[in-house]
Amino acid sequence: MIGAGPAGLSAAVEAAEAGMRVAVFDENAGPGGQLFKQIHKFFGSRDQNAMIRGFQIGRNLLARAEAAGVEVFLNAPVMGIYKNHEVLVKIEDESVHFKGDNIIIAAGAAEVMVPFCGWDLPGVMGAGAAQTLMNRHGVLPGRKVLLVGSGNVGLIVGLQLLQAGCELVAVLDAAPRVGGYGVHAAKIARTGVPFLTSTTILEAKGDGKVEKAVIRKVDSRFQVIPGTERELDVDTILMAVGLSPMTQLASCAGCDVEYSDQTGRLSCITVTDEFCETTVAGIYCCGDFRMETAEGASSAILQGQIAASHIAEQAGYITGEECGARIAKCQETLRQMSGGMFSVKNKGRVDPTETDEGYPISRSLLERGYIAEEELQNYPAASYEAEGVHPVIECVQNIPCNPCRDMCARKCILVNGDITNIPLVDQTKKCVGCGLCVANCPGQSIFLIDKTSIPDYAAVSIPYEFLPLPEEGQKGTGLDRSGAPVCDALVMSVKTSPAMDKTAVLTMKVPLKYADSVRFFKAEGGAE
Amino acid sequence: MSKIIRTAAKEPFKPEPDDDLIICRCEEVTKGEIRRAVHGGFRTTNEVKRWLRCGMGLCQGQTCQRNFQNIIAKEAGISVKDLGMISGRSPARPVMIDVFANEVIDAEKDPEGK
Ligand SMILES: Cc1cc2nc3c(=O)[nH]c(=O)nc-3n(C[C@H](O)[C@H](O)[C@H](O)COP(=O)(O)OP(=O)(O)OC[C@H]3O[C@@H](n4cnc5c(N)ncnc54)[C@H](O)[C@@H]3O)c2cc1C
Repeated sequence: MIGAGPAGLSAAVEAAEAGMRVAVFDENAGPGGQLFKQIHKFFGSRDQNAMIRGFQIGRNLLARAEAAGVEVFLNAPVMGIYKNHEVLVKIEDESVHFKGDNIIIAAGAAEVMVPFCGWDLPGVMGAGAAQTLMNRHGVLPGRKVLLVGSGNVGLIVGLQLLQAGCELVAVLDAAPRVGGYGVHAAKIARTGVPFLTSTTILEAKGDGKVEKAVIRKVDSRFQVIPGTERELDVDTILMAVGLSPMTQLASCAGCDVEYSDQTGRLSCITVTDEFCETTVAGIYCCGDFRMETAEGASSAILQGQIAASHIAEQAGYITGEECGARIAKCQETLRQMSGGMFSVKNKGRVDPTETDEGYPISRSLLERGYIAEEELQNYPAASYEAEGVHPVIECVQNIPCNPCRDMCARKCILVNGDITNIPLVDQTKKCVGCGLCVANCPGQSIFLIDKTSIPDYAAVSIPYEFLPLPEEGQKGTGLDRSGAPVCDALVMSVKTSPAMDKTAVLTMKVPLKYADSVRFFKAEGGAE
Repeated sequence: MSKIIRTAAKEPFKPEPDDDLIICRCEEVTKGEIRRAVHGGFRTTNEVKRWLRCGMGLCQGQTCQRNFQNIIAKEAGISVKDLGMISGRSPARPVMIDVFANEVIDAEKDPEGK
């Protein structure tokens, strides 16, 4: 197994549990691949690790791999794959040769870079690199950051930059819409970060390092519009414009590598069949190395299981029947996960007008990163009203995620049918205001509102993941979904508990008429 | 494997304002050098790579391959799909030469060369 990310580790567990002898090589000092820098709660299905923070998913996988007797070699870069499944690994200061009956390449992907004037100045880097600096090494990548690309990777890194204390000057996208999930964009927008769509980076300026970024508007055919240049004062420009599989090892092994538009845009991939086997018999590849999918780690884990099951069957460790059943189960989950508005088949569809349920699409969410107040009425759960405390769910796109459904002990929240369906509130059930849904929604899109318990005021509970945590009685400002200040706000309580896993639920008192507007709290005088 | 098409540049070489833009950071190869190479008769990914060393540095083309292919494709007026890919070569990762060079078979201790 080459790569100890979710794909490699899950394949290793599957193969080892079937009785095969497995070695995993990873060039990093720690296992987990991308997972070990993912500090956020993952979206997805409850059966597939959703709601668990990425690094914890990595730890769980590693513990399972160790229990299954998998041998993991760290600081062990694979330098080449040769004929007859021979793998050359650097271990300590030696070149060591290994041979496997089968090889799975799960080496992940690298960030795509687009060259522009000044892109080789220090201060221009991949968003994933910045994430590694912050979350693995505790180093701030910069102070004033411009983020280029609004896909999920960009959006998630964007929030983490704010959490680490950077100023996020803007998020750009050349497309006319935000590329990632609206819920991830909304977390950034409500802190006051502007989204600039149909805008591209033209130049990085500075003397020996980035000091300014020049940006410009583009038209619907991505052609720059002259006269629309703007300069931004930034010291860091982060590129989050896609990932590209690290196909070198596959190419080295003689596997066919080619450009394909299977993922909705042209990218360089290793040719594989439905079992993840390449054109060289016995060499498989899976996870981000196989292709970039919207489902990320879940898809990597499932593909790892498919490849390993196929190998175990081919080698006689499990029966054809067992293998068929396991693979069918993985494929069904993959099918469910890959539905919805951000699926490959919908990717080119720039202008969807309705959700699967027939609700109008929130244009504001697509163009500005937050739902406009007048759009809320289009969605039953986002405009839900009830006596006393009750949830309001501002999750209005078809994305593959459902942990909210299981979080509520009172069963107030429904995600009926497919995992991509928009959650609903069951009006027959009474909310008790425990806040577990608020804290555990990976999109941080659930709020508790109480408009009736305090005369003339409302209590608004929001998920809060910034330090220092505000305290009860603290005064500050209530911000709306775009981050604009709306009114004074007073912190009534800040709840934390092990079940909330470090997402606090902050309840603030705001004038009643702002109950549907205020969605963020900014402490007086201090940092948010 | 998709087939490789060798096509000459569409039009004679004309300098462009951003010809000094670095495309391959590891080997410091510029856009202008790549464009000139196409006009000089180097037409596939591997031909340009061998002539200029773009894609032969630390990243082994992981970052720059697509970017220099885009330039070749534009000059030649064809799709990047038709240019072929960099042939992956060991070492896929940077490695000290002594790690490689120390790998000698001691014929006395190990006559069969295991
Ligand atoms: C910012 C960000 C946010 C994300 N958020 C989510 C999310 O919320 N939900 C979700 O499901 N997914 C998410 N993902 C995606 C998810 O992390 C990836 O899809 C997943 O980690 C891919 O797994 P993998 O095993 O294929 O590759 P990786 O995790 O990249 O692992 C590959 C491993 O291979 C090693 N390797 C590479 N080359 C070699 C070599 N030559 N020799 C030895 N070792 C090598 C690498 O060091 C690495 O450890 C996110 C990704 C990013 C970047």
